[in-house]
Amino acid sequence: MSQTQTPRQWNTRAAEKQRRLSTVAHLLNDKIVDRAAISDVLYGCIASGDRVIAEGNNQKQADFLSRALADLDPARVNDLHMIQPSVGRPEHLAVFEKGIAKKLDFAFSGTQSHRIGQLMMDGTIAVGAIHTYIELYARLFVDLIPKVVLTAAFKADRAGNLYTGPSTEDTPALVEAAAFSGGIVIAQANEIVEDVTGLDRVDIPGSWVDIVVEADQPFYIEPLFTRDPRHITDVQIFMAMMAIKGIYAEHGVASLNHGIGFNTAAIELLLPTYGEKLGLKGKIAKNWVLNPHPTLIPAIESGWVESVHCFGTELGMENYVAARGDVFFTGHDGSLRSNRAFCQLAGQYAADMFIGATLQIDPDGNSSTVTTSRVSGFGGAPNLGSDARGRRHATPAWADMADDNDPLARGRKLVVQMVETFQAGLVPTFVDELDAVTVAQKANLAVPPVMVYGDDTTHLLTEEGIAYLYRAESIEERRAMIAAVAGVTPLGRSADPGQTKRLREAGKVQWPADLGVSRAEATRSQLAASSIADLVDWSGGLYTPPPRFRSW
Amino acid sequence: MTDVAALLQRQSFVELPARSRCQHLLDDADQRELLGPFERLTSPWLPKQNIVTQSDDGVVIMRGTLGDTKVVIAAVEPAFQGGSMGEVGGAKIAGALACALADAENGDPVVPILLLETGGVRLQEANCGLAAIAEIHDMIVALREHGPVIGVITGPVGCFGGMSIAAGLCSELIVTREARLGLNGPQVIEQEAGVDEFDSRDRPMIWSLLGGEQRVATGLAEALVGDDVAAIRDLLARHVTASPKPLARTTDIARFEALLETVAPTERATARTTRDAFAQTTGAA
Repeated sequence: MSQTQTPRQWNTRAAEKQRRLSTVAHLLNDKIVDRAAISDVLYGCIASGDRVIAEGNNQKQADFLSRALADLDPARVNDLHMIQPSVGRPEHLAVFEKGIAKKLDFAFSGTQSHRIGQLMMDGTIAVGAIHTYIELYARLFVDLIPKVVLTAAFKADRAGNLYTGPSTEDTPALVEAAAFSGGIVIAQANEIVEDVTGLDRVDIPGSWVDIVVEADQPFYIEPLFTRDPRHITDVQIFMAMMAIKGIYAEHGVASLNHGIGFNTAAIELLLPTYGEKLGLKGKIAKNWVLNPHPTLIPAIESGWVESVHCFGTELGMENYVAARGDVFFTGHDGSLRSNRAFCQLAGQYAADMFIGATLQIDPDGNSSTVTTSRVSGFGGAPNLGSDARGRRHATPAWADMADDNDPLARGRKLVVQMVETFQAGLVPTFVDELDAVTVAQKANLAVPPVMVYGDDTTHLLTEEGIAYLYRAESIEERRAMIAAVAGVTPLGRSADPGQTKRLREAGKVQWPADLGVSRAEATRSQLAASSIADLVDWSGGLYTPPPRFRSW
Repeated sequence: MTDVAALLQRQSFVELPARSRCQHLLDDADQRELLGPFERLTSPWLPKQNIVTQSDDGVVIMRGTLGDTKVVIAAVEPAFQGGSMGEVGGAKIAGALACALADAENGDPVVPILLLETGGVRLQEANCGLAAIAEIHDMIVALREHGPVIGVITGPVGCFGGMSIAAGLCSELIVTREARLGLNGPQVIEQEAGVDEFDSRDRPMIWSLLGGEQRVATGLAEALVGDDVAAIRDLLARHVTASPKPLARTTDIARFEALLETVAPTERATARTTRDAFAQTTGAA
């Protein structure tokens, strides 16, 4: 045994944090740093090779700090490993093109999906994995513990308390991972106030935050969830009617999450009209895990909705949400408190159903929005669109998915894919092989980016009908059910009419006529609101849509 | 407080296709379509350009009564070729107005109502469409001597080009907040004058200048109405029985020339400055 061994130091992370902060201490006044000194602060706090989170959420973007990061000299700071729920800003990719960062772990890329795809394939970005949101948060506490977090708030005080309000989104999860592991938390704020009395409420305590800077302009926020009812088509209304009758009512779906497309916007707008006519109010669609979609306003106003917990906010909905405190989760100040981590957990464990759209479906029912030119990531969809196998509580809809013959039978989450058989430009939705497979090879991804796996998909809804996939008794039957609703795509034309007839008789596939849904009834006049202006009327003037959605 | 029942009751006029618009406005009894789709009066020009025709060429003419007043409605279908006016559709409107004029001259007046949801002349039919629009203008002016000629613009297309002149010639023009009225559409202005002059994506700016509220405030339209079938029908029922009044909008040329004198083209027009200019010279707003 060696006599020279020194006792192990058990606080190296805290010591390193203190060392880094001491190099910038002269720039701080309380926790506040002058905007002009932000580069020096980043040089002092970030070392080459660090894991860094630049808060890019689904909506809220710490864009002042991410621009400052992209302005650093790659000779001084390089080889960073970026961790971002969302890669939404041009500068998020500039840090890779400049050589400041090399590796990326993310969940969603939205507006940057084309460029990120190119950078992955030419090797500029080495992607660890394309995660689902809570999967990425989970790794922050296990094998992706961050050294530095760059975050954004509406307001901060001199002690570092943050008001993130309706746009809290991912911030608690991201900040917690650094604040309690010897990491450094740097926040940009739209406004800095003297002390906590100047904050509407405290969303992040000051002791978790090390440095605060006032941003040059309010943080960027994307209105991702506003769907103008004007653009909802008769086909989407037809499919929405089938969904309400053949799935929501059929299984008694009480708690749910909706995707962000026009399909599900149509369902939201049909609840107060078609849903009411079917006598379903109070029986379905009561408890929601959803951003504050403007198209949900008529259902809320007509008493369908008991509760909505939100991942994030939506521009223009602030006053409406604040005035509907019985429905939304709001703070003592009245404003929305969103929280993506909890909302994703709610969607995983407590929701009866996820329903959304996709771009491609293969013959086994696997689906993806990744196409060769577009690597968008999936955000929360893989989580919401999968069965929670740890779930142990029953609800009627969940239990309805169980196989009656098995004494240990358990239910399942309903995972519904709602697609037209052809996408824009007559591109078939049904393909032999997902583009995701090719993309995985080209971009060196260990796992092909599948959004929702076929074995998690319980229902497939097209304008041709509904395939109740959970009722399939074999893989072959499942494939036949998918083909039966694939219309005149090559896959649909391969369906055997005799078998389709038998599947309809067995209730495994239902066509609109089987459900009693008439094409002639599916008109836009069914929508509770047919324009953004109607939604404003429904909100009693509380909803103030962004200018780009106004037509008055 | 939101009146849920009223909101659910409200039926959008904008959402209706042209034929349904006519059917909802007319009294239930004795509705009849003239030159309907089974006459197969289609555009001879569109097939030459590989464009599918429509059996009514995007124009519906319907006779009937509105609160016991005899009316003829000419409705442009916004969903067909952007509500554009082709040779056949234009001739259907001009012909309907000519019949109404003949009836009026024979002492049996039929009030024309034009549902103008149109981007103007159909570019594929060029001069043939323009000629039809000119005939429509001619007929409106002649009909105004006998009684009201009512234009309605609701949305979402708006009313532009030569048909905006037809709208201006109407003795009564009814608009919604979403309606837009202008000689040139936003994209055309941007293309001709540049994005700095007119940004066709700046929706609040577009509606503040071309929208229904502004057009009523400046006296270029008579009445503002909500997107509600019942409200539009009630308003029309009052207008069809109104006696004709002098129409300053198209006759008092000197006042509009005076207005033009006050406009400084180098300064950016806003809704406010435009309303002020109209108020000073024409007494509107």
